Amino acid sequence: MAALQRELYGGGVGKEGRLAGDSEWDDVSPIVVVEPEKALAAITYTQDYAEAMSYLRAVMQAKEYSPRCLRLTEHIIGMNPAHYTVWLYRAANVFALKLPILDEMAWLNRIALGNLKNYQIWHHRHLLVENYFPSIASDPAAVSAFAASEREFLAKMLAEDTKNYHVWSYRSYLVGKLGLFSDPDELRAIDAMITEDVRNNSAWSHRFFLVFSDPSASTPGTPATAADPAVPEAVVDRELAYAREKIALAPQNQSGWNYLRGVLVKGGRKLASVEDFAAGFVTGLVEGAEDEDVRSTHALDLLAEIYAEKGDRGRADLSLRRLGQKWDRIRVGYWEWRRKCLEVGA
Amino acid sequence: MSSGSQQQHRRPSPSTSASPQQPSQNTTEEVDDELFFGARAPVLMIPDLFTHPPPVRDPLVTGTSQAQDGTVEACLPFLDGEDDAVAYNEHGVPGLDRERHIRFLHQSLGRLPGRFVAADASRPWFLYWCLSAMAMLGEDVTSYREAVIQTARSMQNEEGGFGGGGRQLSHMATSYAIVLSLALVGGEEAYEVVDRKAMWKWLCSLKQPDGGFQVCLGGEEDIRGAYCGAVIISLLRLPLDLTPESPAYKEDGSANLLTGVADYVRRCQTFEGGISGQPNAEAHGAYAFCALGCLALLDHPSRSIQSYLDVPRLVAWLSSRQYAPEGGFSGRTNKLVDGCYSHWVGGCFPLIEACLNSSGGNGGDAADATTTTTKTTTRLPPAEDSLFSREGLIRYILCCCQDQTKRGGLRDKPGKMSDAYHSCYVLSGLSSAQHQWELDEPDETEGPAASVLGLADPVWAVLPYLDGPQVFDNGDRVRPIHPVYAIPQQQVRAVKEYFSGKKGFC
Repeated sequence: MAALQRELYGGGVGKEGRLAGDSEWDDVSPIVVVEPEKALAAITYTQDYAEAMSYLRAVMQAKEYSPRCLRLTEHIIGMNPAHYTVWLYRAANVFALKLPILDEMAWLNRIALGNLKNYQIWHHRHLLVENYFPSIASDPAAVSAFAASEREFLAKMLAEDTKNYHVWSYRSYLVGKLGLFSDPDELRAIDAMITEDVRNNSAWSHRFFLVFSDPSASTPGTPATAADPAVPEAVVDRELAYAREKIALAPQNQSGWNYLRGVLVKGGRKLASVEDFAAGFVTGLVEGAEDEDVRSTHALDLLAEIYAEKGDRGRADLSLRRLGQKWDRIRVGYWEWRRKCLEVGA
Repeated sequence: MSSGSQQQHRRPSPSTSASPQQPSQNTTEEVDDELFFGARAPVLMIPDLFTHPPPVRDPLVTGTSQAQDGTVEACLPFLDGEDDAVAYNEHGVPGLDRERHIRFLHQSLGRLPGRFVAADASRPWFLYWCLSAMAMLGEDVTSYREAVIQTARSMQNEEGGFGGGGRQLSHMATSYAIVLSLALVGGEEAYEVVDRKAMWKWLCSLKQPDGGFQVCLGGEEDIRGAYCGAVIISLLRLPLDLTPESPAYKEDGSANLLTGVADYVRRCQTFEGGISGQPNAEAHGAYAFCALGCLALLDHPSRSIQSYLDVPRLVAWLSSRQYAPEGGFSGRTNKLVDGCYSHWVGGCFPLIEACLNSSGGNGGDAADATTTTTKTTTRLPPAEDSLFSREGLIRYILCCCQDQTKRGGLRDKPGKMSDAYHSCYVLSGLSSAQHQWELDEPDETEGPAASVLGLADPVWAVLPYLDGPQVFDNGDRVRPIHPVYAIPQQQVRAVKEYFSGKKGFC
């Protein structure tokens, strides 16, 4: 088994990095690409890279799927992990050779930790899960074990970069694939990240997805910014309380306010139901006085909407004016447009 | 650029005060040393908005707030006009260093050293980034025609599309970059490089039953695929029919290359109002541009954007991307400003304005009634004034995003290295902030069915943006680019005209 592993993983290719002269590759005629004379942005490749690529082209053209091809892709990925063609060919090898998916996952984890910003790693992982999941789909214990190991790996990745877009996108895919919406461990993991940095908007976004896209408690296909009567009232209440509690920690944190507003809309609640809460961050807003105190521009923004909702155009307009004049001047063009929205009743 | 006018506006300094230009008029200033040296700042017209932290800040410290504070700290010295080594105009804004940037771009198209190996699968992007940036800077790029043709040919696959290099799998992003590069250099020989029939077949093979596109065979499906696909189809005037081999093919002929694309885009709008790369992810600036660009190609934005997206939420989210004092845009809530979002977010505003400022389609029922939409029932007001701070963005770009060393080029933010990617998208953002676009009214006589992409070709008109304070020198206005295709409009027109004249694939 160990020998087989070496044959597949970490075994390397060639003799001292060279494929030419290595008997294992004698039967392959490398395909060298000659760049046109005027080629733009042509890269001066290292000899190792250029040689490996020329062998890769040959085995790809021959549609060869073999342990040595797998090792060749590992060799190239080591030199350039951002090569989608190599990754897709690697996946084809894994599937053609029917390799244990979890072995490939373990190998991928090591590569991923060294290449945080890489795109291809995540699509590769996606393909592996697509292939692997059917084999465990009917076994809840296996799904749960797999979810736990994935969560552990994701925690390591996110510890390096808490807002890594690829990691979070993959995580939302995984939740959908494995049906982790109502998995308390998933919600707990996200809560821990929000607790650690209440401004981590990626974590907030993931929470919104977990809670409001749960197929057992939502209407599939409902736009994210539309009300969904299938969401239980208790869930809406719970999430409103959560958002309020987190906003209190840092009232100028837009993530919390976007979440709060999103929950209100999703739950079909009036924005005015949080008027008292929002008003707690704005004191002394009086026409003509201009000496109000604002602890959160997002609260003032929401208040403007609340006043408009209640038909108090004067107060809505005052809120928007003060945002543009004093509290959030960089967005004055937007606040002025919002004032025009009041005029047309939009 | 007019270096003369810049000299004039330069902040008075001991050396210029000593110059004997008009001694008699300078007398009062010369005697009043305190006014002269102590009050230098008032000479430069820099609103305190761009020199001080925002008025509302929370005391709670987290990783996010530390990164944000660090960025403000890094930007302020570039925004306050106090670097003696830099020549500012009267607004405290340095000039656009065209020469150095152009030199940097030429170099980026030349032979790249071995450490660029990570770019081995994205060389077409270097072509697009550099050529587009040069075009905006007024550099003639037709001298690159032959080189672009040779390079593009070496990357085209018989199965259709272009890969990241010779004998690499065709990819949506690299095909987009190559097609735009060929359009940038222009000319029949360049256009004819593209094997349109193979391209069409390849696009059909990427089209998915849910409306979106994979980025390559077996690759991921995301909103980049939708935007790049729509751009390629419309520029090359490809037929919309699907091949029977397409995953989205329907025997009753009810599906075509664009069926369901708008619905796919709609599924990418998040509760925050912004757009994610795939459904259910976080709203992100780059994907917002892809979404709006794609919708703007499918139909007049007053119909397509309004019908498929929650516009008030989208505008709120886009507007929230701009920060002070930095002036630039961030890509996501609670992330940092980055020069590239000058395009990805800034470039959304002309499309939003086209959506809001049309008297015809806005909020009306011109949109396809058969689709599931989130239609706004009330009319939204037009955006008569700018929805974002053009001054802020231009300050961020000219003060913070230019590499002021010999290297040249444009960058993410102070402390980062310039690169071709940022050079392109920072300049695109500058261009869009310096111009105003207006789109013809939608043609009400043809319904939406007739105005699907390929048939409708609304005309965009562009003017320099002249309202409000202009903080840059006239010579620093870069050339306008088409709000959707992100290359100059005449190149878009030329390539479309060329392929419109074609019958079939010959």
